[in-house]
Amino acid sequence: MNRDMTIEREERRLARWFVAPALAFIVLGSLVPIAATGWEALYGHDLRLPWLGRPFVGLSNFVEAAADPRFRSALLHTAIFALITVPLELALGLALALMMHTAIRGRPLFRLAVLLPWAIPTVIGALIWRFMFDARAGVITAALQSVGAASESFDWFAHPLAAWVPIGAADIWKTTPFVAILLLAGLQTIDPALHEAARMDGAGSVRRFATITLPLLRPALVVAAAFRMLDALRLFDVAYVTTAGGPGTSTETLSLYAFVALMQRLRFGYGSALSVAIFLLTFAFALVWVRALGRSLIGDRT
Amino acid sequence: MTRSDLSCERRDGARRLCVVLAIVTACSASCREPAAVTRLTLSASALGGEAQLLRRQLARFAERQPGVDVELRVTPDAADQRHQLYVQWLNARAADPDVLQLDIIWTAEFAGAGWIRPLDRSGIDEDDFLPAALAASQWRGVFYAVPWFVDLGLLYWRSDLLPAAPRTLAELHDAALRLQRSGATRFGLVWQGARYEGLVTVFLEHLGAFGGGLLDGHGRVIVDEPAAVRALTFMSDAVRRDGIVPASVLSWQEEQARFAFQNGDAAFMRNWPYAWVLMQDATQSRVAGRFAVAPFPAASEGRPTAALGGAELAVNAWSEHPDLASALIRFLTEPEQMLERARAAAQLPSRRSLYETGALATALPIPIDQIRRLLDAAVPRPVTPVYSELSEILQVRLHRALSGQQAPAAALSDGAREIRALLARTGLAADSAPP
Amino acid sequence: MTSGSAVARLASAALLVLLLFPIFWMLSSSVTPESRLFEARPLLPAALSFAHYRALFDERDFLIPLGNSLVVAAMTTAVVLPVAALCAYALARLRFRGRGLLLALILAVSMFPQISIVPPLYLILRELRLLDTYPGLVLPYVTFSAPLAVWLLTGFFRQLPAELEQAAMVDGASRLRALRDVVVPLAAPGVATAAILTFLYCWNEFLFALSFTLSPDRYTVPVAVTLFRGRYQVPWGQVLAATVVATIPVALLVVAVQRRIVAGLTAGASKG
Repeated sequence: MNRDMTIEREERRLARWFVAPALAFIVLGSLVPIAATGWEALYGHDLRLPWLGRPFVGLSNFVEAAADPRFRSALLHTAIFALITVPLELALGLALALMMHTAIRGRPLFRLAVLLPWAIPTVIGALIWRFMFDARAGVITAALQSVGAASESFDWFAHPLAAWVPIGAADIWKTTPFVAILLLAGLQTIDPALHEAARMDGAGSVRRFATITLPLLRPALVVAAAFRMLDALRLFDVAYVTTAGGPGTSTETLSLYAFVALMQRLRFGYGSALSVAIFLLTFAFALVWVRALGRSLIGDRT
Repeated sequence: MTRSDLSCERRDGARRLCVVLAIVTACSASCREPAAVTRLTLSASALGGEAQLLRRQLARFAERQPGVDVELRVTPDAADQRHQLYVQWLNARAADPDVLQLDIIWTAEFAGAGWIRPLDRSGIDEDDFLPAALAASQWRGVFYAVPWFVDLGLLYWRSDLLPAAPRTLAELHDAALRLQRSGATRFGLVWQGARYEGLVTVFLEHLGAFGGGLLDGHGRVIVDEPAAVRALTFMSDAVRRDGIVPASVLSWQEEQARFAFQNGDAAFMRNWPYAWVLMQDATQSRVAGRFAVAPFPAASEGRPTAALGGAELAVNAWSEHPDLASALIRFLTEPEQMLERARAAAQLPSRRSLYETGALATALPIPIDQIRRLLDAAVPRPVTPVYSELSEILQVRLHRALSGQQAPAAALSDGAREIRALLARTGLAADSAPP
Repeated sequence: MTSGSAVARLASAALLVLLLFPIFWMLSSSVTPESRLFEARPLLPAALSFAHYRALFDERDFLIPLGNSLVVAAMTTAVVLPVAALCAYALARLRFRGRGLLLALILAVSMFPQISIVPPLYLILRELRLLDTYPGLVLPYVTFSAPLAVWLLTGFFRQLPAELEQAAMVDGASRLRALRDVVVPLAAPGVATAAILTFLYCWNEFLFALSFTLSPDRYTVPVAVTLFRGRYQVPWGQVLAATVVATIPVALLVVAVQRRIVAGLTAGASKG
């Protein structure tokens, strides 16, 4: 009994040392900065107008953001983008995972096809897609023109709505593999005996999919949806590289607008308020999902 | 593999990694150390012949100043991209580039933000530089940049269709209408009407023609006054009522307007001097040798106006070699270097004396007497640190009026109100205390 | 679900093409001469031209961003691995209060919008004159790549049979000793996977690199490629060559250890 207690105390001491560096990075690298951003959001701080100083303005940056049409459109763009691309990624990822799971031949090819887009830097992928959609040189534009689906000089990037297509394509292409891998893991935990039994009972593949695979896959789907949703809300790289928010500001996402406000307009107070808004949005999601994930990761021992 | 093999492998790997990291860090540290030579960095445009010219001149400077080496840092050619890069560097307090080529409308902004150094007034030949360019180089009475070369808005006119340049705005209007109706040209007049800075320069010339302006001498907003409304109404009528200006100009920048004139589709074009050389190329242009330039004419209440563009040179506030940087600026803005630049890059120097001597006559493609008239008509854009926001407000309102979404008077009154609010909230209103 | 049906095979092929075509197109376009880049051309280039690659290294000096990315990734990985491994071991094996909270915190950090920490980080790095330096990037990189490494290694450590350490401890070794003699040698595959993922994160990262670097000397690969500017338009030939060059290291890395990566990710994802 005593020995157990000593071991436990020693373990706790050891744990503190082991955990300290990671904790330090987390606290210093993200918690303190987030708090500092929140603090900065309460001040008017325009780096191009130093003679105005840095006056305390309370919540007026947030009030300005709420009334700012550009912020509201960025919010709308981001939300709609997430709501459209995430289900698509889940569906395609599921299809891919099923193919990888049941493939007898060609598994290495699948693995390659899945891992390469995922490993390629996001901006590189976005550049490739931008090239493919280019009005002059783009192979997609050319293909559409050859089947008569697009007019002579259709410029995807000059239309406020059409410009979303290259962004969506680049994002879905890059992230579907990640979803597929997560779902594959889920698929691999499903006991094949269940499928065997159902097949012997005469259930068709669609029926088995709906009643066995999907329900058992739900946890993995939930995890994948959570990660993808969070990433979609934070979207920056693809939007910046593909359209830079253009034409005008019609493909501007929340993170992109915050970046413009901070690094191009140098309105650090206002940009911080925008960043806080984005943070709160993702925090709301994170709160829900982290509890679900955390519980599943640690298991029942806590 | 046994356990000990794995751990040995891991230790070796770790050791190797440490060695590599040490070497790399050492290299990166040493690569940044300056040699015995002092290194200046100049950030300037290197379009076409400019790069070679600059390198020649910089080599000459290095000969004069032994122990100094000047590196030319090339920046993107598009103005807004270069602006963004400068903002990023200067805001981050980067020590280089030491000398920056600024667009004439950026000086006040950078000066107000404290990003460029005040210059010693005594080192600047205030008598020789163009007054309009000098006005743009100062902020709150202090010099922050030296004018390098200038750009002027010109009216190009078809010398084969008209005996002389129109002397008044009415003449321009009538001639454009006549030539268009007779079928001699498709359009009467073309200018840059897209929603960008170019539109503001076009508007500035119309403003001057009617005796109006954006800000008055005291910094008060006057863009909603009757003269300005008349100017915008003239532009709007030309597009929407009379049709002498095609509606497609609303998406045109400099090049599209040039193509229209170059193909013989327009009797008049408002553009910058760069177009002259390109349009004299008979293999590409249908109007080679058949056009001339003049200042944009005025109505009875105004005067001929040429919007002033161009570049200035300034010293980075965090430069580690401010005196050398100032010396470099003085060198590059010497008459000889400016003359060479005029010859090599066909850019208009900012020193008046050069236009008096005959030296420039052979250097520039545009006839010198025409340029002299233009210089007298030069008008800078408002010199204020928030010019880019001001311009954006104006661009939106002008474009709305020209595309028929708003009446000119209402558009300008809204624009004036927004500009006044901008100046008030940034502490730059005419009656507020100076920053 | 059998893989025999024609529909399934067709769908598989379509999905494979969709995933791999952009990569193929990138490769093929990068060796297409500039003059033919903007016109209709067959899928396979008729004449190969390496002019873009030559220009990439001669005119653009692409070795510099490559070197920068390499250094930053190496430095970050060197810091993340020990930090994450220790933390993961504690989470997997040791009992202590606040374990759940720590895990939640680590996961939460990986969900932060990166833009939210840019303002204060920028101002502090500027004050400390760490903008446009390697350490200036390594700090945020470590913070944001550590969570994934911790998550991965926690799952990995949990899969290691606890009996080995317990056997060592029963023989009288302390927990630390058991760690060093038993766990460390066995940790190699997990650590290698974590190292690769961290490296990939750094190679990939864009926002912080864009915000905290200034001069072309210090651009990392993503920033350098994005900021290629030509006179009037994007120099696509060189950009594509750059994308190929930027992709090769990660592609090789991933292909070489693909089995391990998939296993590592799925191990972390499954409920241990």
